[in-house]
Amino acid sequence: MKLYNYILSPSCYKVRLMAALIGVRLELRPVDFHPGGEHRGPELMALNPAGSIPILEDGDLVLTESSAILVYLAAKAAPEWLGSGKAEEAARVQQWLSFSGRLTASLGGARLHEMLLRPGDIGAFQAQGIAALRELEAGLFEQGLRGQRFLAADRPTVADIACFPYVALAPDGGVSLDPYPAIRLWSRAIRALDGFIEMPGIHRLHELKPEPHIEPGEA
Amino acid sequence: MLSDPTGSWTPVALSVDLPPGTVVPARTPAGPIALWRSASGRPSASADRCPHRGMRLSHGFVRGETLSCIYHGWSYGAAGNCLRIPAHPGLSPPETIRVATHPVEEAGGVIWVGVGEPATQPPQLAGLVPLRSLQAQAGMAALEAAAGAKADENGLLETTQNSQEIRLLLAFQERDETLIHVLLDGDSSLLERIAVSRAVEALRRKAEAIEAEGSSR
Repeated sequence: MKLYNYILSPSCYKVRLMAALIGVRLELRPVDFHPGGEHRGPELMALNPAGSIPILEDGDLVLTESSAILVYLAAKAAPEWLGSGKAEEAARVQQWLSFSGRLTASLGGARLHEMLLRPGDIGAFQAQGIAALRELEAGLFEQGLRGQRFLAADRPTVADIACFPYVALAPDGGVSLDPYPAIRLWSRAIRALDGFIEMPGIHRLHELKPEPHIEPGEA
Repeated sequence: MLSDPTGSWTPVALSVDLPPGTVVPARTPAGPIALWRSASGRPSASADRCPHRGMRLSHGFVRGETLSCIYHGWSYGAAGNCLRIPAHPGLSPPETIRVATHPVEEAGGVIWVGVGEPATQPPQLAGLVPLRSLQAQAGMAALEAAAGAKADENGLLETTQNSQEIRLLLAFQERDETLIHVLLDGDSSLLERIAVSRAVEALRRKAEAIEAEGSSR
């Protein structure tokens, strides 16, 4: 499977993270998103007329929506990440997969504006981002009351991976994560998963690694 | 915020939101703090600034009984003294390297941080248990206007919203920002808890609309 990838793209990171968590190997094809704008060039436009990344190629199959790519990887390698299939759980997975698009539009818009100087109304991006974070916080709080630590179940699903990156990178767009205790606990639970990988701006939990010991004179 | 001549207590967070081995950002009238709980369960509060390079300690991590800075790993104990500087493994850090600390009291599921040296204990919330905390972009006055009720000297406010009884513990953050802790009876059902949480979100929307209208005048 070939992933057209950009290291700083939260949507590409979703795919890399999902693959790492379920042990799928990806062939990474780097895309010069910035400053080259390669995703809008003829080769990639031929693959994805929307001019966006990630793009996943697997034989004849070309997928261009990150949520669809997550579902594809999970269905092939680890179907438990799709949820149990119970009506309410299946609906919650879809609810948060759709919601993740609003995170991309709001928090992602703010981040592109602040980091890559993309045009747009930064105040509106941030206000919509805060509204989305409040929805997520309330959703996670209510899940906690039901004894479930993740968005759709008491185990992580593709919905958590779809929402996590843009939330974790909200401060890049000038949106603080300080006011959200349930999001903080959820983010810790995701970063504590076996196989978790980092991207620039999203670090692992240092306390889970053994404390490094350097002898005097070694440093 | 309970004031007395020598200091005051602020309810900064709920116990449930600070599990062992974690650190979170919080605010007191004296400024931002790093609130952390050691592996053995002891809560501590320090200034949210590493004295080395100024990084927020709430971005750091807790290992055992120490809080470490994410930047260069300087580690601090509950008393605020620096215990370890990883780049100088042979050095015992001098006593002068310290972060300012604050007294912490935890009772009934609420974590209170003292500013100054409060002479009394934090107020008791008899019979009530905390549900969740949420932040409002609205000052105390706007929240009181939305609730149609006044908070008492401890920050406790009681009101009825959409025929839902609501009890809140309010903590001042900024002139136009308030931390709301939602309280309820310990024997409330799951549906009651969800209903109260949603009613407080409705109250927050109302208060924020009042605040926005007030500041645009």
